[in-house]
Amino acid sequence: MLEIKNVTKKFGELTAVNNLSFTVEKGQVFGIAGPNGAGKSTLYNLITGLYPFEGSIKFEGKEIRGFPSHKIAKLGIARTFQIPQTFPSLTVKKSIAIGNYFGSDAEFDPAYVDEILKFVNLYDKQDEKTGQLKLLDKKMLMIAAALGTRPKILMLDEPMAGSNSKEILSLMELIKRINQDMGITIIIIEHFMKVLTELTSKLLIIETGTEICCGDPNDVTSDSRVIECYLGDGHD
Amino acid sequence: MFVEIIDVIISGMINGSVYALMAVGLTLIYGVSKAFNFAYGSFYSMGGYLAWMIFSVAVINSYFIIFILSIPVLLVLGYLIEKVLVAPLRKRDDWEIKVMMITLGLALLLDNSYQVLFGARMKSLPSILEGSLEIGEFILAYQDIVIFILSIGGILLFRWFLNNTRTGMSVRAVAQNPAGAQIVGIPKEFVFSATFAISTVMVGTGGILLAQKYFVTPTGGWDILVKAWVITAFGGMGSIKGSLYAAFILGMLEAFVGWYFGMTWVLIALFAVLLTTLAIRPQGLMGKWG
Repeated sequence: MLEIKNVTKKFGELTAVNNLSFTVEKGQVFGIAGPNGAGKSTLYNLITGLYPFEGSIKFEGKEIRGFPSHKIAKLGIARTFQIPQTFPSLTVKKSIAIGNYFGSDAEFDPAYVDEILKFVNLYDKQDEKTGQLKLLDKKMLMIAAALGTRPKILMLDEPMAGSNSKEILSLMELIKRINQDMGITIIIIEHFMKVLTELTSKLLIIETGTEICCGDPNDVTSDSRVIECYLGDGHD
Repeated sequence: MFVEIIDVIISGMINGSVYALMAVGLTLIYGVSKAFNFAYGSFYSMGGYLAWMIFSVAVINSYFIIFILSIPVLLVLGYLIEKVLVAPLRKRDDWEIKVMMITLGLALLLDNSYQVLFGARMKSLPSILEGSLEIGEFILAYQDIVIFILSIGGILLFRWFLNNTRTGMSVRAVAQNPAGAQIVGIPKEFVFSATFAISTVMVGTGGILLAQKYFVTPTGGWDILVKAWVITAFGGMGSIKGSLYAAFILGMLEAFVGWYFGMTWVLIALFAVLLTTLAIRPQGLMGKWG
């Protein structure tokens, strides 16, 4: 479904993503992990058209390199950010409606917006301004706004960051439902290995923009190179 | 004395309403693109000259027709100027500085073109509505009432546009979170061009409204540019609500200072208030950090 081939991104002397190649299959939950500064979020920025790059990114067989972000969103690639990105003066409902208005070629569907509000448990807060929401609700809203675009792939960037164990469980539950009930392919960047091993069917570890290891999450987390460069001894 | 003070308050309200219309346009561009548009004052003059041409050359003296003809022209010119001059710069590093330089160049080009085309002498336009309303000792020109109503109407229309239209919603989204807006499929480049065009209409309409009171001159826009920026900074950069409050406060201040000390003190007073406010509250009345 998503084919990344020999993708390289340099910022001056710094190589943020170095000749990276991998494929994400339809319906998969694909994990990406690596130390801070490994180039994980930069990779998302390349896939969503925020930066130019060398190499090729194909989505459903179509080359999307050079496409502007809004066009990539319309093709069916949605993402979230590490720090929740919301529209502070808009209401929860309008924020999701924006995704549905602009992010999809399909006609605006208020019933779909309501469905998403219920799906992420924000229906009762639909008229609240997003700037007033608590962190977990902001995260839910950011996911909901992305779902509003009717994506085929949802790319989550460290959704568990700053969450307590209860919140992590509810976010994991939501991600599973998005994948299984809505049939949306998921790519997830995360540091919590337990989350990745439980959710994903394939895991990619990168360091300084370069692939260290890619495969079954249980195999990857026991790989000596991964333990050395990222996990360390005695990881959980 | 009492009658004079009421006159000054009314004058402040009327000026404040037009300044609000123009400052909101400038705030809109800054809020969305975070770039300084030096040519904003020249678009004010453009509105005045367009109205003058329709009135003098086409010999149409209906303000309704003047607005109907001028607004689409201002909208299209604003859109094209943004697409041709500003949009290509956004792909470069430090584009905000480059936008400042190119709009400064555009301002000089436009102002000198006005001088070549229309001459240095000021142009006048007839009053939008002759006569005045007399209530006891108070005399209020119909012209001022119409200017006030049209300016407030323009602001309310703009507010409706932001809250109730698809493009308006995309403008608010880009102003609040450009990266997030792009990711949910909003075409950021179109929003930049649209806001530039809308702000050109707002300041150009202000130019048409004030041309009947203050004449049209090739360099008359600079005074407006300075005032609009003082209002924008005083209200809080990027805050539309702040600009509205600031426009009326500074419109009133201008009227009182002009009446009591003379018009030469007006800009000095505006800057004194701006500097004092920014020293105490650097983000302006309603601006936010970050």
